[in-house]
Amino acid sequence: MINRINQLPTLRVDPANKVIFDYKGKDYVGVEGDTVATALYHNGVRIFGRSLKYHRPRGLYSLDGECSNTCMEIDGIPNVRTENTLVKQGMRVKEQNVKGSAENDMMGFIDKLDWMMPAGFYYKTMHKPASIWPIAMKQIRKAAGLGVLSPDFEMPGKFDQIFPSADVVVIGGGPAGMNAALAAADKGLRVIIMESRPWLGGFFDYRTFDYKDAQYKNSKPLYSRARELASKVESHANIRVFKHTSVVGTYTNNLVTGFQIGTENDKFNERYIEIRAKSVVVAAGCIERPLLFENNERPGVMQVACVHRLARTYGLLAGEKAIFSVGHDLGLEAAVDLFDLGMKILCVADVREDGQNPYLMIELAKRNIPYLKGWVASKAHGSKRVNKVTMTTLDGTISRDFECDLVIASAGLTPINGHLTLAHAKLRYDSHTNFFVADTMPEKTHAAGRMLGLEDSLSIEVSGKLAGLNAALDCKLMPQSYGNTEIDALKSEIDSFTAQSKELPGPARGSKFVTAPVKGRKSFICFDEDTTIKNIKQAIDMGFDVPELIKRFTSAGTGPGQGGIPGHNLPLYVAKYTAASSKCFSSSGSSSIQSLGATPKPTNVRPPLVPTLIATYAGSKHIMMKRTPMDEMQRADGGVFRKIGVWERARYFSDDFSCRKEIENVRNNVGMLDGSTLGKFRIHGPDALKVLQRVYVSDMSKVKTGRVKYSAMCNDDGCVIDDGVVVKLAENDYYFTTSTARAGATIEWLRYHTRFDGWDFYVVNLTDSMGVINLSGPNARKVLQKVVSQDNGASGEDASNKASIQDVSNEAFPFSGYKEFMIKNTIPVKAMRLGFVGELSYELHVPSSYMVSLWNIVKEAGKEFNIQNFGVEAQNVLRMEKCHIILGQESEQRTNLLDLGLGFLWDRSKKDAKTIGAVALRQAENDPTRFRLVGFEMENNGRAARDGALIVDDKVRGYVCTARDSFSLNKAVGMALVESHLAKVGTRIQIFEDECGGERIYGTVVPMPFYDPDGKRMKS
Amino acid sequence: MFGKYKPLLGEKTQLKSSYDVVIIGGGLHSLATAYFLAKEHGITDVAIIEKNYIGFGGAGRNTAIVRANQRTQYNVPLYKEALDLWPVLTKDLDYNLMFNNCGNLNLMHSEAAMKAARMTIATAQFHGVESHLLDAKEAKELVPALNISEDITFPIHGAMFHPPGGIVRHDAVVWGLAKGASKYGVEIHQQTEATAVNTKNGKIVSVETSRGTINTSKVLISAGGYSASLIYGMLGIKLPISVLTIQAMVTQPLKPLLNHVVSSGAYHCYANQTLKGEIATGAHMDQWPNYTTQTTAHYIKHQAEALSEFLPCLRGLRFMRIWSGLADMTPDMAPILDGNDQIEGFFMNCGWGYFGFKSCTVAGKYMAEFMAKGEAPDMIKPFNLRRYEQHKLMGETAELVTYTPNN
Repeated sequence: MINRINQLPTLRVDPANKVIFDYKGKDYVGVEGDTVATALYHNGVRIFGRSLKYHRPRGLYSLDGECSNTCMEIDGIPNVRTENTLVKQGMRVKEQNVKGSAENDMMGFIDKLDWMMPAGFYYKTMHKPASIWPIAMKQIRKAAGLGVLSPDFEMPGKFDQIFPSADVVVIGGGPAGMNAALAAADKGLRVIIMESRPWLGGFFDYRTFDYKDAQYKNSKPLYSRARELASKVESHANIRVFKHTSVVGTYTNNLVTGFQIGTENDKFNERYIEIRAKSVVVAAGCIERPLLFENNERPGVMQVACVHRLARTYGLLAGEKAIFSVGHDLGLEAAVDLFDLGMKILCVADVREDGQNPYLMIELAKRNIPYLKGWVASKAHGSKRVNKVTMTTLDGTISRDFECDLVIASAGLTPINGHLTLAHAKLRYDSHTNFFVADTMPEKTHAAGRMLGLEDSLSIEVSGKLAGLNAALDCKLMPQSYGNTEIDALKSEIDSFTAQSKELPGPARGSKFVTAPVKGRKSFICFDEDTTIKNIKQAIDMGFDVPELIKRFTSAGTGPGQGGIPGHNLPLYVAKYTAASSKCFSSSGSSSIQSLGATPKPTNVRPPLVPTLIATYAGSKHIMMKRTPMDEMQRADGGVFRKIGVWERARYFSDDFSCRKEIENVRNNVGMLDGSTLGKFRIHGPDALKVLQRVYVSDMSKVKTGRVKYSAMCNDDGCVIDDGVVVKLAENDYYFTTSTARAGATIEWLRYHTRFDGWDFYVVNLTDSMGVINLSGPNARKVLQKVVSQDNGASGEDASNKASIQDVSNEAFPFSGYKEFMIKNTIPVKAMRLGFVGELSYELHVPSSYMVSLWNIVKEAGKEFNIQNFGVEAQNVLRMEKCHIILGQESEQRTNLLDLGLGFLWDRSKKDAKTIGAVALRQAENDPTRFRLVGFEMENNGRAARDGALIVDDKVRGYVCTARDSFSLNKAVGMALVESHLAKVGTRIQIFEDECGGERIYGTVVPMPFYDPDGKRMKS
Repeated sequence: MFGKYKPLLGEKTQLKSSYDVVIIGGGLHSLATAYFLAKEHGITDVAIIEKNYIGFGGAGRNTAIVRANQRTQYNVPLYKEALDLWPVLTKDLDYNLMFNNCGNLNLMHSEAAMKAARMTIATAQFHGVESHLLDAKEAKELVPALNISEDITFPIHGAMFHPPGGIVRHDAVVWGLAKGASKYGVEIHQQTEATAVNTKNGKIVSVETSRGTINTSKVLISAGGYSASLIYGMLGIKLPISVLTIQAMVTQPLKPLLNHVVSSGAYHCYANQTLKGEIATGAHMDQWPNYTTQTTAHYIKHQAEALSEFLPCLRGLRFMRIWSGLADMTPDMAPILDGNDQIEGFFMNCGWGYFGFKSCTVAGKYMAEFMAKGEAPDMIKPFNLRRYEQHKLMGETAELVTYTPNN
């Protein structure tokens, strides 16, 4: 337990409010505002977990979650980054990847076996003899991975999603981002600012430096300035602030995604945010570039901001005796500040030859802090935590040991470029800042602040303001706005700020330093994957000379923290080493890459920029399916529903899935089916007929008023993509149906295939606005008769007209007939006499809003016949007995019109129509190698073969499309697609089912249809 | 124990002015073809020309799943042989390809899907490939994380279990084949761009590259997603290929959770656990043809939504990285393996869509035989280009493929 400094003005914790949580079964106390890691640190925990490969002890290093060092299991969720997860009452926290405990890990010995595990060792081992591989693999799997997730784990909490829009999105709530947001918002634009920490302020937030003079004095410290800006931003009516929100993706056209952590007052634990903005400002700042030396990740080695923020934000002094080994002024500033807060600073080593802020040098001297220019930490000692550090000169010639419990190490800074590169900015290595900087920026995207290399606080603020104004210009500069005085004013404002920014200090020179003069056996370039400098050298020696390839070969940067730790160092080191080795440069004495002239190449950054919970990405996703107007009633009637395509449909009406009752009722009595999912369209306009001629294989000019025409559509391969009926409503005005599955694609199909013709026509998709009742069975006419004669209100001429309309006798409304009725003077019905199920059958098409009413009317009329529902499966069997096909069931991708025996639909004389598929059909006509659809029955009254069974001899010759034990026929029948030599009636076919063990069953090809071959039932 | 760190591909060499065979593209199919040309047919004077580095494209971007439960009799034997080759190559190349023979579980969410599965299983069993239909309960026994309740969008009816499949370490295959091919003298020229293929009197004569002209009488283009545009651009042969972006992603690493590859057609989603412990997951493509390798926001969200339903425990896991690659899709989801047809000495191997990884070794083997003997081996004859002008698709998918408006 260490004492908390409770009185700092920079604190972001409330020491008065205790939070009790569980760590490894014991209660621990943190305070409100603590992260889990800071609370544990406060309680004396130094080793948070063990590393992936070598089981090395790992502790707090960056506080920003760039590595898995402090990943732990919280409330059953593995791999939680405890350093930026706020501690909550009652949380259960556990260590990961340890056998025993993080403190005493039985697997710790593996650290000594690193010599057995050079880069890519697993490619070269464990495969000889082959029999050891499965055993080795099991061990590898057990050893790999960090956290544990139980297969029956249920994610607690609520997850939400929002899709707000904004003119300008600002990524990063530091000084530059806040200035950008204010500048754009002041121009009247709607701004969203996203900040990953729970407060605005960025790297001003914890610093006491003077904000104007870059000096250590207390006129107006940076943290005050940050709070001043934050209150302006948060009270600005045009700015929406998302705090504790990490941006995880940026995409073309300024699509930004992120997720927000909810507070106590929010209705969500986390929520997914997706914003389409007109312009984006990226002011994401920098992280620190790790310093590479032996044991550079030993608990007790920390980055500058980690230690500084632990003190200033959380009130925790990370250690008692500290050594600094740094390469930038923030390190010197921290040393001064931490000294004043009571930390003992043994020395500050700086790898830079020059360029230090003179004020800071004075402050260090004032405090008698030893300053070692040109020195660097080369090795941290101590088996589980640092107790000593070896410092050496850059050439490695002089060394000195210091006993200490804290090594504050940081080679330099590195910009957080991910937001830019994901949006396709191209990076270039800049030798002044030693940063990768964006060379070409994505459209309407602006970068600002410290990520540009700026260190001076005023420069940073002005760059933010400029970015905000430029973003505002993006939003206002629409084509119609040229010559607008507002635009001119904005432009001159931008010019004046540009001029002002030129007066201020520009990007600061950055350190090039990568690694201390060591061999690098335990100098970790990537903590998550335990990749050392030595591994990188091995990979390069094996010919992997591009950072991206080295990443693949050594896994560096592919762990939970992705490129956070190695992202910048790997390219720098590779450039240095490849240049050195190609010149046969002997040792790593010099650390400057520039002198060797190789240009570092960045590795790829990929979304999500911050690891994101699957629950969060999924958000509040709810199931969206289409339901027909009859949905509720059909469910009440006992319908068993299935999701079929975009619809939920009643497939069965009892738990007898053979549907015997439903089938027999349709065959012997009358049933009704909800056919509302059928695709329904109206096409009209001067060229409507031409369109139909193009897409349907039949001659559509022959469609007669009052009649229904069945036809099919093919694709260019002659394969059937759709079938349905067409009704002529008037000249160049048709109503047609498509199969359920094709409804969505039909309009696009029509448009696509007429795109060069310039035809004048309109298509309306009526699928959802029309419902369909299929009334089928021998008693269907009697029911319909009752339905249409319900309305007797008319008289005179009207009445006789009505009488003829209401005549549904076989003569007045024959098979393939079409009629329009008005039921009860209110409900307009389009009625078609069809026979899909092979019985007397009507399809009643009615506006969806009347669907329930008409259904009830029909149901009521059918009561005396005991009318019953039937579902999709019963229909499937009924139509199969009649050998009516369902596309997708009796056909597949390569089945053409002729294969299905539907060649009669094709009118080959309408050449001018350029019917889609006609060319292929002509080609296929004399092709003997094609499949044919045949009917078959099982031999010896055998059971029906299973759908999908193969037709074989010594090869596969076809397959069973649909086969059922037919109650109507009292035998097992089915349809199959077979090679044409098997298509003759009487041919014996061998059927090979799954799990038949070679035992075949047999059937015989029989004529189609099986049921009512003359169609008497359907047509009379 | 490991000896010196020698360059895997041998020392870098100068590009020569002529080779017996030039292969454009440094992906798996090219490397495998070169390897088999050298090993089986003694043709070692081979140059592989790669614009970036070997394994830059689909070879390094796939999710490494291998299986042989295809739909038709043309494909099953081909993929079966491919499965059988992994252990053989591990030995011959002396490189651990890390074949995790964990089996594949394809979930079925409807009666129609069960029918389709039965056909695929019957086809597999007919050809001696192990594959079984399971009910939902049996599937859950194999993968305890599965949600087999009724209250999800697509309740699980059953599954097709295919034990011989699994996962292979894709990078290892790239490097292993490259190592194997270079050992026989094949030259791999990275950072070298092929810019033209020259013909004379209907025969291949040379290849232009960014590092000079190479005289040769045999050229193979097998450049994955880039093949169709290269073949059209260099030789004017139009292929019925649409190039689409396909994405995949991994979660943070985890101790063993999934012991099999799990996939679902209805959810457009599959997941497996790599040896490193990450859950690798991917699925269908964005439906608009393009040559970019951009990832999309809606895709990663879709993936999360899908996994949340059928593997709900994964909700507690974090996505770590998403990437994308190109899939060169043909209208029938079967590849184009052809040669010596319109131009003598010109061969192509493309159109694998998202089946390029599992097929790479066997495709290389037969293309090598094709190129060495000049005659297409029976195994790959059905995959010729002319099937499209004859409107005879191969039926590798049951459904119409609708990723472009023109099919």
